[in-house]
Amino acid sequence: MSGDQTVICRCEEITLKEIKETVERFQCSSREVKLRTRAGMGPCGGRTCRCMIDRLVEQLGGPKISNDVSLSYRPPVRPVSFGILGGEPK
Amino acid sequence: MRSFDVIVIGAGVIGSSVAYHLVKKGLEVALIESGGVASGTSSRCDAVALICDKKPGIDTEIGYASIQLFKQLAKEFSVDFEFSSRGSLYVCETDKELEIAQEYVTQQARDGYDMRMVDRHQLQAIEPYLADDLAGGIWTEVDSSMNPYKLCYAFVEEGKKFGLQVYDYHSVQDISLDEKGKVESVVTDRGTFKTKRVVNCAGVWSPKIAQMVGVHIPIKPRKGMVLISEKTPLKVAGQKVHEFGYMLSKFEDITFKRNVSELVEKHNVAFTIEPTDARNYLVGGHRAFNGYDIRSEMEVMRAIAERAIRFLPVLKDINCIRAYAGVRPWVEDHLPIVSEVEEVPGFYIASGHEGDGISMSPITGRMVAQLITGEPTDFNIDKLNFSRYKQKQQAVI
Repeated sequence: MSGDQTVICRCEEITLKEIKETVERFQCSSREVKLRTRAGMGPCGGRTCRCMIDRLVEQLGGPKISNDVSLSYRPPVRPVSFGILGGEPK
Repeated sequence: MRSFDVIVIGAGVIGSSVAYHLVKKGLEVALIESGGVASGTSSRCDAVALICDKKPGIDTEIGYASIQLFKQLAKEFSVDFEFSSRGSLYVCETDKELEIAQEYVTQQARDGYDMRMVDRHQLQAIEPYLADDLAGGIWTEVDSSMNPYKLCYAFVEEGKKFGLQVYDYHSVQDISLDEKGKVESVVTDRGTFKTKRVVNCAGVWSPKIAQMVGVHIPIKPRKGMVLISEKTPLKVAGQKVHEFGYMLSKFEDITFKRNVSELVEKHNVAFTIEPTDARNYLVGGHRAFNGYDIRSEMEVMRAIAERAIRFLPVLKDINCIRAYAGVRPWVEDHLPIVSEVEEVPGFYIASGHEGDGISMSPITGRMVAQLITGEPTDFNIDKLNFSRYKQKQQAVI
């Protein structure tokens, strides 16, 4: 397996190659990488790959903006069924 | 100093569309954005262009025209924004709701729109997973969906082909006027741009931009939370499905009481669901005045889930993987502001679309370009003129 085929986002199965190409083509922020590739948008919500995406964007020269907010975590912490969330008795 | 025919402030869906339509007219245009493209409301929203959630009259007319433009853009653009015309389904929980829905449909059908009532059996045929005790609903053929942030990217990338200059991560600090009070330049933290025309497309933040030229825009941020489901092979919903009670969460003058829990009532939650191309479902919806705070609220998440499983019990066993929130640019009369500001020549506003920004983006961009080039607009947009607020203030005095 070549390095480029390394999977960065396991949930959405996004490879290093896809992320590299996106940053190089659009010179974009981590958030834009996420929106364009779906890396970080799966069940773990980027809790596994977020730091890697942030570092990759930094290394590949995405926008160097000191006040740019990096990727955020969103609730729920773990997937939870709509039934439990909606108060359905188990 | 860099100089442009028009400077568009805000690269959400409205600003992106306005900038695209302006460069297409051959103007030199800069699109200035404090963050990245689609970094505000346009990436924290749902993904539809509907007429079924518009009021009869100009609201629906413009919404319909906008969907026709979407169809054309989807063909023309080389950048895909996942556009699809799937129709939409309103569901009525009670006979009382069905009665109000019938009146609404009659009025829309009289104006020539393809909206029709469906009975409880037809509901089940369209969406087999819907609860079996619902009274009926409305089918709207023309209603469509797309990916909202990919739409912004598409407008920007297509615009660049016509020479659009994008200045992202440039924060507007001031707009300076000449001695006659006309727009002269836009000052950002990374340089000043000379221009005679500015279009304020900053959505919920447009009042802050307008303040720089002494204009007060009565837009308030109206928050909305959305829950995202895991990917599922089940066809939970084939297109947008939402409860007719949604109309009452949107429009304050529609007054009928739903039989809902205190939690659902308190957070003004009305059920909506949309499939996405990625095979997740977006589940909402919620409307609240809570400033610019877009943190996720646990109580609202619970209320949305509670209301969702009432209409689609199959969701009980499907996981919610994420929640997000955005703020809509709300105005009290629920009509966007699309006009020049009389007192400040060269200062235009295209904002205040509330939850209809995605929906209305193509037609808004097109009409702003018409206004600026002095062409007649597709519609008589006197009702969208900013001066309506001035008249109202005078009337109050």
